[in-house]
Amino acid sequence: MSGDHDLRRSLGRAFGVRRSPLRPAGRWLHTNLGGSRILREELRHIFPDSWAFFLGEIALYCFIILVLTGIFLALFFQASEAPVVYDGPYAPLAGAKISVAYDSVLLLSLDVPAGLLVRQIHHWSALVFVGALIIHMLRTFFTASYRRPRRLNWLLGAVLLILVGLNGLFGYSLPDDLLSGTGLRIAFSITESIPFVGSAMATLLFGGEFPSSGLIARIYPVHIFLLPAAIAGLLGAHLGLLWLQRHTQFPGPGRSDRTVVGTPLVPAYALRTLGYFLLVFGVCTAFAGFVQINPVWLYGPYRPWDATTAAQPDWYMGWLEGAVRMMPGWDIQIGGLHIPGMFWPAVVLPGLVLTPLFVLPWLDWIVTRDGSFHNLALHAGQHAARAALGAGFTTFLSVLLVAGGNDVFAFVWNVSQPRLLLVLQIATIVLPPVVAVLTYLLVRAWERRGASAAHRPRVAGPHEPDLPPAGSAYGATGD
Amino acid sequence: MSDPGRGPGEQRRVSTWPAALGIIATIGGAVVFVVAFATGASNAWLGGSLAFALLGLGLALAFWGRDLAGDQVIAGPYPIPPEETEDQGAALAAQLDEHASVLTRRGFLFKGLVFSVGVFALSQVVLLGALGPWPGDRLSTTGWRRGRRLVDSDGEPVTRDALATGGFLVAFPEGNDLHEGADSQVVLLHFVNGEYTPPAGRETWSPENFVAYSRVCTHAGCPVAQYADVDQVLLCPCHQSAFDVLDGARPVAGPAGRALPQLPLAIDDEGVLYAQSDFTEPIGPGYWNIA
Repeated sequence: MSGDHDLRRSLGRAFGVRRSPLRPAGRWLHTNLGGSRILREELRHIFPDSWAFFLGEIALYCFIILVLTGIFLALFFQASEAPVVYDGPYAPLAGAKISVAYDSVLLLSLDVPAGLLVRQIHHWSALVFVGALIIHMLRTFFTASYRRPRRLNWLLGAVLLILVGLNGLFGYSLPDDLLSGTGLRIAFSITESIPFVGSAMATLLFGGEFPSSGLIARIYPVHIFLLPAAIAGLLGAHLGLLWLQRHTQFPGPGRSDRTVVGTPLVPAYALRTLGYFLLVFGVCTAFAGFVQINPVWLYGPYRPWDATTAAQPDWYMGWLEGAVRMMPGWDIQIGGLHIPGMFWPAVVLPGLVLTPLFVLPWLDWIVTRDGSFHNLALHAGQHAARAALGAGFTTFLSVLLVAGGNDVFAFVWNVSQPRLLLVLQIATIVLPPVVAVLTYLLVRAWERRGASAAHRPRVAGPHEPDLPPAGSAYGATGD
Repeated sequence: MSDPGRGPGEQRRVSTWPAALGIIATIGGAVVFVVAFATGASNAWLGGSLAFALLGLGLALAFWGRDLAGDQVIAGPYPIPPEETEDQGAALAAQLDEHASVLTRRGFLFKGLVFSVGVFALSQVVLLGALGPWPGDRLSTTGWRRGRRLVDSDGEPVTRDALATGGFLVAFPEGNDLHEGADSQVVLLHFVNGEYTPPAGRETWSPENFVAYSRVCTHAGCPVAQYADVDQVLLCPCHQSAFDVLDGARPVAGPAGRALPQLPLAIDDEGVLYAQSDFTEPIGPGYWNIA
């Protein structure tokens, strides 16, 4: 039973309490699961410290919040387009013929106690989720943390980004309000524009020509089961690989490709990360409480002959919306072959934007011929070409995002919409290379001055540790 | 920790205020939330109190963890040191070969099995056909056909007196349902005499200067719901395409690349407008077709 004893001691010591309730917990874990040796090691699992390593956690916590709030929403939502006459408390819609789905979202938002809050937490955390994923991905890119042995994990992350964005789009489509129906109509048009198989894919996937009956009933299980299950599985694999390989770290005293330096899982890391979870939850809840999002009762029900100005998708679809708005109408007729204009901004462009995300680690290898293992992350300023490419790519997508709201910006800035469109079209082509070149020159200048060394993040917390020698991770506890 | 210069009592300099704040915020937030819920208070009260509790507890744990972290920095080996990558890879390859080569030794059978699994997986693609109807002529036809009368959004037949010159209205085929209404909706315009000259080949489509265009945008399929009567252009609110109604609804601004199809109109003895036929080309955004 010495293993049991040791585990209890480790747990107790970790929390700095001699006679603590953690001791029975440690005993229970050992007597019921065995394997206290493995557990003891994992209690001291090392997590390198940097604010930048928190970005992926924000995404993870958003997923958990989405599942929790999504379960609540699923208790009320009814996925049906069957017609019903609205007789709820919202006077402007009194007597309106609406769908059962829209009616159930109105009920949830306006009648169910705390229903609006939960719906708004769900929507806000979805927006934060994709944002966190993108910033996490940018951090991984700029610090070259996607190199061996983490190529596959980068790939998993890229797939996760697509699935999460797609599921966000489906969630936006469910309430059957005017904006969700308009979004689905555009999605149908995009599907149609896929070469040759597009029209068959559109009618098969949508269950007929748009608006097909049963579409919401079809999207619903995909949104609440299929994609969340896929996301959960890939997320598990992503975290499993992270756990096995340990996180990358920035260079610093005692840190190398061989030796990882950081805080142990229990208690410091566990406390912090649990705290971060609650902070993410709290921020999303505060937004949900104070900032209205997607007020579907104001938009009205979807009817195919209604449309509204200033209609925008959720922000992470904004780049695609911008491309669709800016691309000139290249409807091409070659003999009997018709190429729809939507093909260029909605099929070709996403292909060009997303394919590099999937093959990035291998592209990097082709360019740098560096196939060795790296556990040290680079600083963004350590590789001018990478920084320049990333900055140019991000600028390109940012201009597209602005163009996605060009009607709103034209109104807010009081300029003519066609003129703003022209400016944005030029910026799409001119700005990314300019930003890339500027970034390149800046990083090179920074390197020459040796400033990158001076700007490295602080290595450890306020108490600089006496680092134990490499290879004695668990000796650090004093055992 | 193993720092010899520090006694057991000084191990962790954990400030007490974060935890104190956390306790107060969590209990306070919980109490206010329950009261707000019970009294049917506004969304701001519910969200504010819940956020207060979550943020308070979160800050407490995060600060507590940060205080501990400074004291607890430890080092350990990465599981795969770079310099051993080659050796470990070779060892794994050898072990795999030793234990699993029994499978690949019978090369033909093994490959045959892998191949058959692939064939089986591919065969299941036919299930996609169960999802919905094939396109057929769905995308190239609408609810309009010869003799079908135009009705307004209330279902009333549109007569020549229903629309003064300079005006416009939304029309549908008589007896349309939701589906037909979606792809058959037209915008009907009534021009002043002499204002509108029909394009070649459409001279008989606009009796008494009534002109009907498909209201489904040829760009992304939104309804072309706005009419700027000063410029005489139809505008799509989704992506700001503009169509010149005096010039066959040709796109003059924005991302659309095709004109809005025109519906051939006629007027019967009772003065009601009706369609001469369906549209002569597919409405809405295009798709890849080989004519």
